[in-house]
Amino acid sequence: MVSPLLSVEQVGFSYGHQQILSDISFSVDKGEVFCLLGPNGCGKTTLLDCILGFQRLKSGSIIVSGKSISEITPGNLARLISYIPQSHERTFPYTVLEIVMMGRAAYTGLFSAPNRMDRRISESALDTVGISHLKTRPYTRLSGGEGQLVMIARALAQNAPLVIMDEPTAHLDFKNELTVLETIARLVQDKGISVIMATHFPNHSFFFENNDIPINVAMLKDTRFIETGPPAKVLHEDKIETLYGIQADIIKYTNGTDRARKQVIPIRTVV
Amino acid sequence: MPVICICLSLCIGRYPLPLSDVLKILLSRFESFHISVTDIQYGVVWDIRLPRAVLGALVGGSLAVSGAAFQGLFKNPLVSSGILGVSAGAGFGATLAILLFHSLAAVYPFALGFGILAVMLSCMIGRVYQSTPSIMLVLGGVIVASVFSALISFAKFVADPYEQLPAIVFWLMGSLANVGYKEIQVAIIPILIGFAGLYGISWRINVLSMGDKEAHSLGINVRLSKAIVIICASLATAGAVSVSGIIGWIGLVIPHIGRMLVGNDNRILIPVSFSLGASFLILVDNLGRILTGSEIPLGILTAIIGGPFFVYLLKKTKGGGW
Repeated sequence: MVSPLLSVEQVGFSYGHQQILSDISFSVDKGEVFCLLGPNGCGKTTLLDCILGFQRLKSGSIIVSGKSISEITPGNLARLISYIPQSHERTFPYTVLEIVMMGRAAYTGLFSAPNRMDRRISESALDTVGISHLKTRPYTRLSGGEGQLVMIARALAQNAPLVIMDEPTAHLDFKNELTVLETIARLVQDKGISVIMATHFPNHSFFFENNDIPINVAMLKDTRFIETGPPAKVLHEDKIETLYGIQADIIKYTNGTDRARKQVIPIRTVV
Repeated sequence: MPVICICLSLCIGRYPLPLSDVLKILLSRFESFHISVTDIQYGVVWDIRLPRAVLGALVGGSLAVSGAAFQGLFKNPLVSSGILGVSAGAGFGATLAILLFHSLAAVYPFALGFGILAVMLSCMIGRVYQSTPSIMLVLGGVIVASVFSALISFAKFVADPYEQLPAIVFWLMGSLANVGYKEIQVAIIPILIGFAGLYGISWRINVLSMGDKEAHSLGINVRLSKAIVIICASLATAGAVSVSGIIGWIGLVIPHIGRMLVGNDNRILIPVSFSLGASFLILVDNLGRILTGSEIPLGILTAIIGGPFFVYLLKKTKGGGW
């Protein structure tokens, strides 16, 4: 049996006495999307931080490519896992290419800088995402959607099999949200990368399911996973009510095409 | 550019010399050229002006470079080389040395030692609270700097008002007067180590300015890289401040001028800042020497000249993008 790319085993985490995560277990295979749902402040970001090795676990273990992340150096971990932040705090006006080349940090020495090959890899990452025309623009002047595509290109330049995204479509408009989702879907299908994604929108998981991408969903509430599995199994009206405290309808429609699509429609809050 | 400024500063002063004479005097040191010059000319250039200009270049350059590095590290364009309390610490060290030993010879090791001590204290305070080190480091620096400033005031208060107090005040305002090769020897080792380290790690400073979490996820050992930047920048600043006294402003403004000229890539910005800072301090020092009969302390002039110049640049370049 082939072991999964990432497996999270009985992970627990707390800030002081406040328990944030307890007994979290799941695994992600190559070419698979894992969608993390849950209300604000439920610990999604903390769980992602643990997988990134940015927070130390209180219990349990996280294994990536057969090795526990606590035994991997930051440089080697970055070759396995890349990260796309929610909204990026932009300070200095580096050009887009300079930002993407930072994705090569894990491949450069402590006192050196990216070389010509790193530059080529970064340029082809921009090309793959379809934003080569932004190459020389200062990224502080980009729109939110363009900025997020730059982050995806940077993760691509990092060349890691697993990408972690923390609400990658937050603050984006309709089209940009869809552009980001389509780009992610394309990378999963074409490059076989795996994605762990925290999101506030259950419809994002339906988007991947509707596009035939292998996807699992986890619902995180009160420090625990209350449900994990494919959207068809997990995303039901009653479970959405437990998770968010809202009444929602899940509708299935074909709209004249020969494929069924699914959407969650929020109706009203439940006290 | 700094070389031109050094040459210029060799000519200017109470005893003006044309550039051709200066070159002759410089070459006369090497016996194979068989050039003879008067002892006064030789003394003015080789013993007074040259060490002063070289030291000015080293001091100005290292203040600018460490300011640029700290700005990148703390993701904040308002940070300067004294952010972790190194200037205040060095100031207190120098004051203490003047109080205790009545001699300038003790000032350098004391200033250097206390400058580094101040940074270590700031870092210890910053580590008390573990999860957001950057802001805590800055806060630690503010605390340490204000404590050392208070100690300086106390030292001034108890100092002998006729001999020690003027010496303390003069030192604190910053000056390159009366420096020679001995001061270069004191300052050059920490300055060169600091500069070399910062230049080497300059690309990592770019990545660190993405923030701790992103830098970590990009594969950087954040703690190690930060430690290297802090140690190198503090060494360079402490080395500079220990021989020149406190010269404000360069560590804040020169990196900005560099950013406007060449952008924010630290690989270019760090060397450019060094050369700009070196040139600026030499020029200001020249002005200080010739403007009035007695020398004007550097700390005063850097701010008076640098301020309006900075405003002019801000207007012209519209701030450079942030």
